[in-house]
Amino acid sequence: MADWLNILLRSIALVFMLFILTKWLGKKHLSQLSIFDYINGFVLGGIVAIITLDVNANFYHGLIAMFVWFIIPFAIEYLALKSKIVRNLIQGKSTVVIQDGKIMEDNLKKEGFSTDDLLQHLRADSVFQVADVEFAVIEPTGRLSILLKRENQPVTAKDLQLQLAPKKEPQTVIMDGKMLLEPLANLNLNPAWLETELDKLNVTIENVFLAQADSDGQLTVDLYDDKLSVPSPTEKPLLLATLKKCHADLQSFALATENEQSKQLYEKNSDKVQQAINIVDIYLN
Amino acid sequence: MTVGANVKGCYFTIKQAGAILEQLAVKTNTDEAREAFLKAQEILSEVAVDLEKQVLFLAKEEPQYK
Repeated sequence: MADWLNILLRSIALVFMLFILTKWLGKKHLSQLSIFDYINGFVLGGIVAIITLDVNANFYHGLIAMFVWFIIPFAIEYLALKSKIVRNLIQGKSTVVIQDGKIMEDNLKKEGFSTDDLLQHLRADSVFQVADVEFAVIEPTGRLSILLKRENQPVTAKDLQLQLAPKKEPQTVIMDGKMLLEPLANLNLNPAWLETELDKLNVTIENVFLAQADSDGQLTVDLYDDKLSVPSPTEKPLLLATLKKCHADLQSFALATENEQSKQLYEKNSDKVQQAINIVDIYLN
Repeated sequence: MTVGANVKGCYFTIKQAGAILEQLAVKTNTDEAREAFLKAQEILSEVAVDLEKQVLFLAKEEPQYK
């Protein structure tokens, strides 16, 4: 076999093998790789490089080496998943550096963090005052995780005792002018619904670059032609406004009439409408 | 506009709002929202029943505007 053909065949075979092996090792984020993972990656790459280019090298010996460098990290990862002890050994533990708002100098020193490093990491999370921090740990990856003191944490809806409507994830129903059927089905909607909604907006599907529907079936679209403006969904705000108007109308009828019976009827029903508004209010915003 | 026409307008608006609520209840994906929409729709349909009676009553009171 000619050398060039040999190299060609080896390259093709190894590209696919390397692809499969790396997929197999899992979806770990690159920043989460341990030093061992890095070395493992380099070695695998090196082996592949050598056995593709060196036609004198034995292809099968290379495969054996690749297999070993794949199977041992794979086994270690599997064990780490199963056992906390192995995990601590391989990935290391996190170290507390600020507790109860006080810096633990010894732990800092142990991790090789200087005071400047600590300040730098805090600043990276936009904390400029150490006194704002209640608790901080250095993760095994070298990142610093911070828990701010209660009064410095961002206000949440819970803090304000606001009642909010639950929201599920929106689905992308049109991409590049093409309808996506699976996301539509996830929302229990069908293509006919989508066509009606697009008709309401006065656009054709070919003009839509992206369209998303939220869990209440409200559609928002982005068109290829950015000069055209599309109205945002008005169904829900309009409904709320309509209900409020009805409530006010009924109240004014109650004030205007002199018939006692009618007055009572209007008042009762205006209260009922108010009750309905209170129920749906959070879902219509 | 007479009182009768005003109340009639309100009656139809309530009916329409009820229909939209029902539509939203069918479309929504969250159970809490569906329950709220249906409950509000129920209340509105009660209101609609009352108003319908009132519309008929007013039509009798103001026959000259028919």
